[in-house]
Amino acid sequence: MTEPVLEVENLSVRYGRVEAVRDVSFSVAEGSLVTLVGANGAGKSTIINAVSGIVRPHKGRVRFRGADITRAPAHKLVARGLVQVPEGRQILASLTVAENLAMGGWHRGRGAARTIDEMYQRFGVLAERRDLPAGTLSGGEQQMLAIARALVAEPRLLLLDEPSMGLAPLVVNEVFSVVEQIRATGTTVVLVEQNARRALRAADHGYVLRTGEVVRSGPAAELLADDDVVRAYLGTA
Amino acid sequence: MQQLLNGLFIGSIYALFAVGFALVFGILDRLNLAHPAVFAASAFIGIELVTVGGLPFWAALPAVAVVGALLGLIVERVAFRPLKGRADAHFAGLISSIAVAGMLIALLQWRYGAETRRFPADTFPAVRFDVLGAQVTLLQVVIVGICLTLVVGLTWLVARSRLGRGMRAVAENPTAARVLGVNVDRVTATTFAISAALGAVAGALFAMNVNSAQLGMGSAIELKGLAVIVVGGMGSLPGALVGGILLGVAEVFAVQYLGSAWRDLIAFALLFGILLLRPQGLFGGRRARQV
Repeated sequence: MTEPVLEVENLSVRYGRVEAVRDVSFSVAEGSLVTLVGANGAGKSTIINAVSGIVRPHKGRVRFRGADITRAPAHKLVARGLVQVPEGRQILASLTVAENLAMGGWHRGRGAARTIDEMYQRFGVLAERRDLPAGTLSGGEQQMLAIARALVAEPRLLLLDEPSMGLAPLVVNEVFSVVEQIRATGTTVVLVEQNARRALRAADHGYVLRTGEVVRSGPAAELLADDDVVRAYLGTA
Repeated sequence: MQQLLNGLFIGSIYALFAVGFALVFGILDRLNLAHPAVFAASAFIGIELVTVGGLPFWAALPAVAVVGALLGLIVERVAFRPLKGRADAHFAGLISSIAVAGMLIALLQWRYGAETRRFPADTFPAVRFDVLGAQVTLLQVVIVGICLTLVVGLTWLVARSRLGRGMRAVAENPTAARVLGVNVDRVTATTFAISAALGAVAGALFAMNVNSAQLGMGSAIELKGLAVIVVGGMGSLPGALVGGILLGVAEVFAVQYLGSAWRDLIAFALLFGILLLRPQGLFGGRRARQV
């Protein structure tokens, strides 16, 4: 087995006195799709934000491609290939679609132009709307823009935080098929989802979180087949 | 005609001052009240560079811009960055920038004393010519040229360049900008530096134009700059340009036809009038503020 792309060891994150994430460990193998599932408030987004340098962990260690990145600032990690599609999409509404994509290539200079063209071919709707403010796109289109923008950064590891949130069922299907395509091209993906059943079906490996702790983990298919897990954690999904 | 041109000259300096103000206010949503102090400091520093340093005007102006940019970096570092994590960062920054302004003015007083300073008489060649029957000096033409060039250049920078895109991204959503790999602190500091450099050039040109520099010159222009930002449309750079020129013209006409006591009354009444007709400002509304 090759060295994992991402290793998280005993990660704890505190907001003030509240421990949002407690002693979480997981690893992500090169080229795999790993999902963190759990209810709202289970600490999934906090883990993603700690990995990508947006929040400071209280304890623990994060290693990316062998290097310790526990205290690295977010803007340096993007250049190293660790890219996040944040929760709520966070597109830049007053900037045009084209400008949003260009922001994805912030650290790449002119090399990004070709990737942006590829994104226009892949996401036809973005090409049609390239000169419109991104805020005028529908929710599903904004999610595609957020994903395309992250791909312009040429990620080696893509962290997707709740990409299906607030989207209509048909659009959710589209988002998941894009995620599977990304993984098929060799990019390693960490997917955080409330839609646990759906995420586990797409993933190789899953971690189930509850109140900041990993309560179950294993191959995604096994988690899906485990009646205890389904009853206790995936019941509503 | 003469009055219109005079208004244009003073107005273009207001515009340059206001555009620097509007850059930080409109893009970063921070009101930097140390901007007027940088404006005043740069006038004194420009005069010292010419009188003591022996620099010609052409060399002194870029030097003033560099000094202004450095002052802008200091203002950002001292007055704004330490407060950026606070929920009331906007208001706290406003107050701390007033404090930095006070310190800057005190330093000026310590170094230069309280009396008025002037550029030497031969700093700029006293060439005059006729434009449609009005008298125009070469200095005035140069001032308008420099101001317009800088304002147009800045507008291009914000709208088209990579840095401008980064500024707008930071303005709209700092967290999203960080996730995209933008060094938010660096973009913020750069914005302050550019803003202050423009304010500094405006200060030196203002002192050239009225042939004097006083410690209070910053506070005199401060309110005008704020009014111009509001009238132009919060943070709109073209709005600040047009608003500045409008204010300059209104002032000159008020002085000419009603006397100098009426200057501020007429100018600000006009600005209020514009706001009654267009509450969003001349160029406002295009970019509604996001919550």
